[in-house]
Amino acid sequence: MRQNKNLLKSLIAFGLLALVVVIMLIAYYQFKPEGIKGSKEIVVEIAIPEEETKEFTLNTDAEFLRQALEEKDLIKGSESEFGLFITEVDGRVVDDTKQEWWCITKDGEDVFTGVDETPIADGDHFEITLTIGY
Amino acid sequence: MRIKDIVLIGMMSAIMVAVQVVLGFLPNIELVSLLIILYTLIFGRKAIYIIYVFVAVEGLVYGLGLWWFNYLYVWTVLFLITILLRKQHSPFLWAVVSGVFGLSFGALCSLPYFITSGVRSGFAYWIAGIPFDITHGISNFAIALVLFYPLYYMLDKINKRMEYM
Repeated sequence: MRQNKNLLKSLIAFGLLALVVVIMLIAYYQFKPEGIKGSKEIVVEIAIPEEETKEFTLNTDAEFLRQALEEKDLIKGSESEFGLFITEVDGRVVDDTKQEWWCITKDGEDVFTGVDETPIADGDHFEITLTIGY
Repeated sequence: MRIKDIVLIGMMSAIMVAVQVVLGFLPNIELVSLLIILYTLIFGRKAIYIIYVFVAVEGLVYGLGLWWFNYLYVWTVLFLITILLRKQHSPFLWAVVSGVFGLSFGALCSLPYFITSGVRSGFAYWIAGIPFDITHGISNFAIALVLFYPLYYMLDKINKRMEYM
């Protein structure tokens, strides 16, 4: 009898776990950022400490930031399961030994997606800043 | 605190750090959650010291960042949940607890973004991390299901031997 009660509790707990996974998946597909089709003009600012900031105006049909930047050959990197890990921007390669990395922001605010999944819209302003320290 | 408690805390945090570093190349697959559950069930309140030694060493290994401030409270949440459910002994139930913790890891880590950057940023951070949270939850569940009993047996034996010393 006690074993049956424990089995029932375990099944209910597992059922709740599965339900939470389903709800999270629905939330993800409902709210994840979507690309926008059509031509657009975006501004990308590249900032390197102690150097002059460069600004690039890109006219593109790309839906996500990666494609727009690659069209102008502005970024290079290595593929990972999180998408492209940017190691080079406008010819400047990061120095791992100094813990350098490229930080992408939009209008000064963090973007929480990688360059592959960051959607772009007409008039957007992105900053790519060489950052030191993990 | 006795000398053997200090030794125990040191050993157990070292195991946790080693396990985290070794599995670090696998994103969102970790043994730390299961170890915290087991340490809490077997060693009781000493687990909280183990957790914070682990967090301190992680900070030294990887450098301090926003992730480190997340670590200051995230693992304690699991410790408190384990304390509340400490009378349960079913490995399946603990696998579910570990799985739910893994699923909620992203939400817990998004709290600083809600506070510093507002609701929209916090929500965007959480949504972007959902695929990783799902991997985390499923792997936590599977790992706990398989390893709960063998690790519980081993750690319980260590605890009893240390008590007799």
